[in-house]
Amino acid sequence: MKSEKTDFVLEISGLTKVFSDFWRRAKVKAVDNLDLNVRRGEVFGLLGPNGSGKSTTIKIILGLLHPTSGAISVFNKAPGNVGIKKKIGYLPEESYLYNYLTPRETLDFYARLFDIGRQIRGERIDQLLDMAGLTHAADRPVGEFSKGMARRVGLAQALINNPELVVLDEPTSGLDPIGCRQVKDLILALARQGKTVILSSHLLADVEDVCDRIAILYNGSIHAHGMVNELLKVDDSSRFTMPVLSSDQTKTIINLIKEKTGAMPQVDHPSRDLEQFFLDVVEQAHGDAAYQSGVARSGNLPEYLNSSH
Amino acid sequence: MRQIGQFIALARLTAFEAVRQPICLLLTTTCVLLIAVFPVLNMHTFGEDGKLARDSGLALHFVFGMFVAGYAACSSISKEMRSGTASAVLSKPVSRELFFLAKFAGVAGVVLIFSACATITTLISERIAEKFYTTGGLYGWIQDKQTAFLLIAAPFVAYLIAAFCNYRTRKPFGSMAIGLLLMLLLLVMLISSFFTVEGNVSSFDPFLQWRIVSASILITMALIVLAAIALTISTRFGTVPTLVFCSVVFLLGLMSDFFFGRIASSNGMAAVLYRVLPNWQHFWMSDALSGGGTIPWIYVCHAGLYAVIYLSGILCLGMVSFRYADMK
Repeated sequence: MKSEKTDFVLEISGLTKVFSDFWRRAKVKAVDNLDLNVRRGEVFGLLGPNGSGKSTTIKIILGLLHPTSGAISVFNKAPGNVGIKKKIGYLPEESYLYNYLTPRETLDFYARLFDIGRQIRGERIDQLLDMAGLTHAADRPVGEFSKGMARRVGLAQALINNPELVVLDEPTSGLDPIGCRQVKDLILALARQGKTVILSSHLLADVEDVCDRIAILYNGSIHAHGMVNELLKVDDSSRFTMPVLSSDQTKTIINLIKEKTGAMPQVDHPSRDLEQFFLDVVEQAHGDAAYQSGVARSGNLPEYLNSSH
Repeated sequence: MRQIGQFIALARLTAFEAVRQPICLLLTTTCVLLIAVFPVLNMHTFGEDGKLARDSGLALHFVFGMFVAGYAACSSISKEMRSGTASAVLSKPVSRELFFLAKFAGVAGVVLIFSACATITTLISERIAEKFYTTGGLYGWIQDKQTAFLLIAAPFVAYLIAAFCNYRTRKPFGSMAIGLLLMLLLLVMLISSFFTVEGNVSSFDPFLQWRIVSASILITMALIVLAAIALTISTRFGTVPTLVFCSVVFLLGLMSDFFFGRIASSNGMAAVLYRVLPNWQHFWMSDALSGGGTIPWIYVCHAGLYAVIYLSGILCLGMVSFRYADMK
């Protein structure tokens, strides 16, 4: 029983959050009687349209908002506990950077909050700047950055402490397809290292690519949840994929299936993922291009993130 | 030990963010320039140039300082809560109480830098005001035009050097300009100490009215108390309501003796308000400097104690308010 308990990084039961106006009158019920558990080492996706309560839930998990009612524990402690935050990395949804600081100063500041020693701090900052592709822009104020570049700085600061739990609120918002792919690869790499990732997004393809389990929120409550492959599985049909067939072979197989099942199968050519196609084109173009605007290509996972706790 | 490191990092960041904002630089430079040019443009002074320069310097120090303290406090809490930077910091192992106190320390640092600039300028401004001398080989009305020129030139030189450094090294213009301004003002004070008011080279003699310093220290204390009030209010309200509230507190506190002090013994509400509102008159001692008077250091210590007690109360209130505030 005890081992089952410690297996959960996050446990939420009957969580409700009501925002009040100046006179303490209820204004909006952002989260309504939410029950949720996240296991250690899984990539969990919180899906939902705008205003469904994803960000509010995340902020309650981090102790930034106080729940109106319900119970919540993160690493078996209350979310307001300062100690547990050493294990958490958080990427907020929107602007969260000090405009007059450079990326290097920003990362240095956050590293100091974790009391990371000078030498390790310097090494991690260099590795994170490389991961974010911002080494060349390390000394420019972040206020001058595009949304995508600022997002990369935000992602880097979320990983400065080598967290056990990474909470990402709309991580691909404002990023180009290359950046989106890098973020998804990063999430998968973090999962391989045994880290737990909670991801909030309304970009369904991103969630589908990386999440083990999802919950779909609407009006503050969960309307569907479970393993991604189970939720998306279509039980009443089957699919075969095989090397390209001649027209005679195709006809033979269609007739065979028709004879055996009585159903008319659909035959088509599998198509490539548009994201992969785009990345292939850019990869090809990159071979000749000398100029890089904004973000340099890197995406290397920092070495220190490869070490488990 | 970790908390001390966090406190220093947060306080340092708050101070840097505040001084890098154009409004802070603009307010500091305007205040310095106004104090500097006042003795030069003064007319109909009835032989009281020095007193006018001193009183104007202290008054400008107080008024501009109120805006610097209010703005720095608002931008460090209310703006951060609204923009999400507070959320990002509080998602790290930083307690809300530490965050709030570090923000206060950072804002107090900005107020100290501003006050240092205003105090040095007021000291020099009093020196350059036209006076009637009958001692030290001088006789008649004399104005220190050399020092006046250096003092007025200091902000422009600071801007030029900061712009050059920003162009060459990309270092932030705002913080560099304020740092340079402070250094150049000190340099002007030092250089002028080797010249007489007539412009002749002499041995080291600052020729400054150091008694202004105690009056400036009192004003700085008042500004720090005001910053704490603004910080506390900004945990619940936005920039504009906070500044309006601070202005009301400033005006009521300034007239606290008149409005509430006189009737405090007979009216309960007046007695409460008289004790709750900060009494700025304790910190405004310009009149004590008239006619060569000085402010006793024991008085400065008593006023300091009043400020510390008031700060303790208001900061505790702020910490409680911030502890239960929802972050956006």
